[in-house]
Amino acid sequence: MIEDLIGGFGVVLQPVNLLILASAVLIGFVGGALPGISGVILVVILLPVTYTMEPTGAFMLLTAIYASSVFSGLITAILYRAPGTPEAVMTALDGYPMTQKGEAGKALGVGILSSAVGGMVGTVVLIVATPLLADIALQFSSPEFFALAVLGLTVVASLGGNLLLGLIGVCIGLVIASVGLDPLTGATRFTFGSLHLMSGINLIPVIIGLFAVSEVLKRSQEGDIHLATKKFTIRIFDWPIIRQIRSTVMRSSILGTAIGILPGIGASTAAMVAYSETVRWSKDRKRFGKGAPEGVAAPEAANNAAAMGALVPLFALGIPGSGTTAIILGAFIVHGLTPGPTFMSGNNDLIYAVFVGLLIVNVLILVFSRPFIAILSRLLDVPYSVLGPIIVICCIVGTYSVQNSMMDVWLMLGFGVAGFLLEKIGFPLVSIILGVVLGPIAESELRRSLAMTQGDLSVFWTRPISAILLAIAIALVVMTVVMPLVRRRKTDKDELRDA
Amino acid sequence: MHTTLRHLSMAPALVALTIAAPAIAQEAEYNPSSITAFVAAGAGGGTDNFTRTVQPMLEERLDTNITVINLPSASGALAHQRTAQSEPNGEALDFASSTFITSRAAGQNPIGLDQLTPVARMQSDVMTLVVNPEKYETFEEFRAYAEENPGKVVIGGTHAASVDRMAFLALNEATGFDLNFIPYDNEGAASANLLSGNIDGMFNEISAIQGYMESGEMKPVLALADERLEDYPDMPTTVENGWDFTFGNERGVFINAETDPEIIAAIESAFEEVFNSDEYQAYAEKVSLDVRSGWLGSEEYRKVLEENLAFFENLLADE
Repeated sequence: MIEDLIGGFGVVLQPVNLLILASAVLIGFVGGALPGISGVILVVILLPVTYTMEPTGAFMLLTAIYASSVFSGLITAILYRAPGTPEAVMTALDGYPMTQKGEAGKALGVGILSSAVGGMVGTVVLIVATPLLADIALQFSSPEFFALAVLGLTVVASLGGNLLLGLIGVCIGLVIASVGLDPLTGATRFTFGSLHLMSGINLIPVIIGLFAVSEVLKRSQEGDIHLATKKFTIRIFDWPIIRQIRSTVMRSSILGTAIGILPGIGASTAAMVAYSETVRWSKDRKRFGKGAPEGVAAPEAANNAAAMGALVPLFALGIPGSGTTAIILGAFIVHGLTPGPTFMSGNNDLIYAVFVGLLIVNVLILVFSRPFIAILSRLLDVPYSVLGPIIVICCIVGTYSVQNSMMDVWLMLGFGVAGFLLEKIGFPLVSIILGVVLGPIAESELRRSLAMTQGDLSVFWTRPISAILLAIAIALVVMTVVMPLVRRRKTDKDELRDA
Repeated sequence: MHTTLRHLSMAPALVALTIAAPAIAQEAEYNPSSITAFVAAGAGGGTDNFTRTVQPMLEERLDTNITVINLPSASGALAHQRTAQSEPNGEALDFASSTFITSRAAGQNPIGLDQLTPVARMQSDVMTLVVNPEKYETFEEFRAYAEENPGKVVIGGTHAASVDRMAFLALNEATGFDLNFIPYDNEGAASANLLSGNIDGMFNEISAIQGYMESGEMKPVLALADERLEDYPDMPTTVENGWDFTFGNERGVFINAETDPEIIAAIESAFEEVFNSDEYQAYAEKVSLDVRSGWLGSEEYRKVLEENLAFFENLLADE
């Protein structure tokens, strides 16, 4: 393997390939930073270009764009609460409050470093253990995915704020997610005869509406048209902060890689679970949601690690772990390559060049991100009365580009107004996203599990992985919901006794 | 002398001109300034790859620009709708797979063959029943197990209106097996479950499972075809077992039904040229889509689609 790696470096360090990587990172930066333009779209646009390239360069380009676009979603999430990619939703939770507190530079530095570390951890795991992990990923079938989604939904308990509103938010999310064709029978649900609604409500309009547009509305109403951000400098290697976030970053990177490996569970879910775990492990939960650096570090480390993890099943099994990897799989096939069991042994040169390329991309992210953000942050000097409409226009264009649908744009604007109103009563908007992302997984995998066993519920506790995950979920619910109630009753009693 | 010579030399040119005139006139009728290609599927899938491969070849032959727009919503129904509602001037094409007709049969696609005219079929892949060889070595083993354990054998597939679900229904009906069907979000998820032994089989094209066959993790055991495949002489077919149905995933091109037949004919012949080009055949070979010839012209393709539609509607009605 060492020899292969050295060979990989030899290939990647050729000037042409370095140029490919550098331009890929920049393309990914731009695309990831624009709300709605995600890695998927960039990869699609560049796909025809790669047909004429030789395979090594082509796949270095595609995977590098993929990796850097997952990273750069954090920039607009932190600066404008407009997540550039769905993976960056959780980053906005603490990143944007940091910006409001005047700590934009610190938040970006934490995000950049955590992303790079997460990406590198993911890549190293990819290099070392792909075939082994692919076998483990296969142990996950419907019951395990269901259990994982349930575990993910318990995140709502660690979001802080009003738990009841959080639960209502999850339910709203579940209703949004149920629109469209029933995943098993194909029956239409809540489509009102509209073709557009038949394929369901896409995640991107929901996210952009609820977060980006609602924030623009809020600020324009507040009359706060001059952004109060002072000039900021990004400090990536800020040792006191690094000491504060290092355990969070490591834990989230490993968690993110592990979740990314599972086919069909994306980097968004990884970011959610990592955020919730970080809150859970924290001694002072109240800081989260109000600008805690760990709240930026956790989702960023996890989503970048998960993006790399998603390449494990792609290479080893030929099964894409996410939307973008599905397109990369298509590109492999056009190049006459078939990722899968025999692919790993037969294409060492190509695979190790891609691996090394990804390592270098994560270094390039550290190098390029500062000048890139410096250009973007010039926008902060523009008065908000100009910037706000620009953000809305970007949101409209980005949303439209997802599936060339005007309906998505109307939905996005509708969610914008809804988010604006809901925030007025202190509604935790991210709980809705939880429902939209995890609801469909929980629903369809539950039903598939039961179809697999002809209706026998015992499958959830006779299969060890699903049993463990569900047990953790139940324990967490008991700890976060029931324990405080018990404690309160106890103090009530004590007070009674004292009285 | 001089003049006669000149006249003589003009004569063949004049003759050539008069012969060429109708041809020029005909081509003048179809001179698209640009073409929009609606893809009734998401980016990166088989239909998208097919469209983007054909795009430059077609641009060259029709001397125009082609813009590709993916409209994956509602199983591609939006792509069909946009094409059917476009100006009938030959400047909007709909690139679609068999899902066009399966979703029509399932009532999920409001656009039928009265609104869209098939231009050409370019690909036709043979579908096979694929199993995990650790569970079943041959179709006979699968059959024996399915007959002994009614209701216990699970087939994975993509969605409820997919061509693989139709294949499942047809097999269940013809054989009397009591198989179960679980639709997954995508083919990858079904493949993963087959690899790990959570399901017993799935329907897929041979081109899609090459890697797994080489590693011995998947095996096609039954071809849904009338004759045995040249490269797989040991694999039985449905028709030789007395089950009268064949299946494959097909990809083709559709156009607004109100378009002038001459324009349709011009596009059809452009596609035929593309299909017969070395460039296209090289692509078809690369992605293993050359198991059997894909080409069907407008008329024949319509006939096949109409038969399929009736067959699928029957299957769904009996279910």
